[in-house]
Amino acid sequence: MTDAGTTAGSSVTAGPTGSIYDIGYRRYEGPRLGRGHAIQSLFWHSLRSTFGIGRGGRAKIAPVILVGLALLPAIAIVGALTMAAQFGVGSRFATNAPIRYDTYFSTISTIVVLFCAAQAPELFGRDQRHGVLALYFARALRRSDYALARVAGFVAALLIIELAPQVLLFFGRVLLSPDILGAIGDDLPSIGPVLAQAILSAALLGGLSMAVAAFTPRRAYATAGIIALFTIPNIVAGTVLGLGSSLIGTWLLLLSPTSVLDGTNSILFGTALGSDFFFIDLPNIAYIAAALAGIVGSIAITVRRFARIAT
Amino acid sequence: MALISTRNLTKRYGNAITALDGLTVDIEPGIVGLVGSNGAGKSTLLKILLGLVEPTSGDATVLDLDVRTRGTDIRQFVGYMPEHDCLPPDASATDIVSHLALISGLPRTAARERTAEVLRHVGLYEERYRAIGGYSTGMKQRVKLAQALVHDPRLLLLDEPTNGLDPAGRDEMLELVRRTGTEFGMAVIVASHLLGEIERVCTHLVAIEGGRLLRSAPLGDFIEQTGTLAVEVDEGSTALADRLTADGLSVVVDGRAVLVAISDGRPYDLVRDAVAELGLPLVRIEQRRHRLEDLFRDMPGEAPLPIEAPTAPSPQSGPP
Repeated sequence: MTDAGTTAGSSVTAGPTGSIYDIGYRRYEGPRLGRGHAIQSLFWHSLRSTFGIGRGGRAKIAPVILVGLALLPAIAIVGALTMAAQFGVGSRFATNAPIRYDTYFSTISTIVVLFCAAQAPELFGRDQRHGVLALYFARALRRSDYALARVAGFVAALLIIELAPQVLLFFGRVLLSPDILGAIGDDLPSIGPVLAQAILSAALLGGLSMAVAAFTPRRAYATAGIIALFTIPNIVAGTVLGLGSSLIGTWLLLLSPTSVLDGTNSILFGTALGSDFFFIDLPNIAYIAAALAGIVGSIAITVRRFARIAT
Repeated sequence: MALISTRNLTKRYGNAITALDGLTVDIEPGIVGLVGSNGAGKSTLLKILLGLVEPTSGDATVLDLDVRTRGTDIRQFVGYMPEHDCLPPDASATDIVSHLALISGLPRTAARERTAEVLRHVGLYEERYRAIGGYSTGMKQRVKLAQALVHDPRLLLLDEPTNGLDPAGRDEMLELVRRTGTEFGMAVIVASHLLGEIERVCTHLVAIEGGRLLRSAPLGDFIEQTGTLAVEVDEGSTALADRLTADGLSVVVDGRAVLVAISDGRPYDLVRDAVAELGLPLVRIEQRRHRLEDLFRDMPGEAPLPIEAPTAPSPQSGPP
């Protein structure tokens, strides 16, 4: 390292930057870990890039704000629980608080959608815009590997966003309870539904966002497309319902990813959908099927896109 | 077995475009120039060799591996420098090269060491920590070369490595290519449409045109005895050409330069006298050793390659 340091120093005086110095070249004799390592590396790179890690300060602004917003309800509730505990009404408040494991997804779903719209184009758009795909595809990696690793990294980022507040909520509830072991016992049954809902929603929202982002190098188009995909079906179904054709309108809601996820949430947590949900008549299996179809379909579209894209 | 071997390799895009047309060639290790005009099929050939583009028909092997089925294995041992921009402007050279080293299968520590190594090799020092968006074209080309070298490939495929560089940058890039091939013993294929450049670094030439093989031979076999004398004048090149033609010389006008075929010592005196008598503002007289051009000139119906255009794309000189 000292060699490089002194050479770099001398280059300032030796001439214009970028002159070539002959200090030899060593062959690489070490291991080549191949395709699996490449996929793994790309996965971690995607996960980090989604949060702006390893990139400039400006790339971090949007993810930091949105992650903060996603955590905010949990922080607020834990704060309120602390206050309530001071007044000795902690357990009653914990039971009746408006923000619980089963309501958290619908509380932050808008933020997650915004996060998708802001960050999904960062991964696919950047690679397409600057021609970086040619460098990826020229390596020990298949095109489908590239697409899947990128999507998986983004879905993992969404999982973090959705699970971090729930973890915070869990620790707040448990540690502020007078009977910690009892509180753990009370909250443990929620872990399954929380995980299942987080995985379903991260995969569906992430898969769909990345499928849209895969089709354009332009950031603005991708962002607009993602927001449109997550809002327009809702509006259409609502309009159809408003016109009085409730059966068609109800089934149309299965085209709206956020409505489908509201449905899976209520199934997983065993809660009845309130009167503000107008699609309560659908069978449970419809939501789950729609979510799975969306996940598989969007990932298939993304893989197909990168199998055909010219570099 | 050859390093690269193709048999009747054909690639069609749709029905209209034939990029490669029954190309059969064996390429041995060394620094091999792949020459041909724009659209001759050079880039397509490189992409097929990397397993990135599926050939329409025919076969090709690289390092004895079939490009159709062993693409990922081939790419593990091949470095590729694309023709076009391929670097994200917000990343630094160190960021992108070490990331791509990981993708090439190097462990994390090795990726870091190799990145420092290759960036030093291509001549990037303190600026390697700055964002690529602020780099000159020459620096970007060096980063592109570095990422192709970072995993120490056995074969290096360079697509127009001097694209967009000024003359000094071209010289440095060619010197890098030459050193990479000769001193490290790495097999290199350099695709270029500039014969004058490629013959300076290559040991072997493969010339293709219209997707077909024109000729594949060691560089020496391409060189013929006759050369060209380039007479560059500020104005009056047409008048000079007419005069020299009247003197019985074989002459081509190439912009401000008049190219005179040299068969014996006679043209030098004639050129001197002609320029003096016409009172032309003479810029330079140089002997161009671009005998390779004859190769293309001999092809009926094919336009000759530009001899040495400063920047691509260049206007093609007319056929003689």
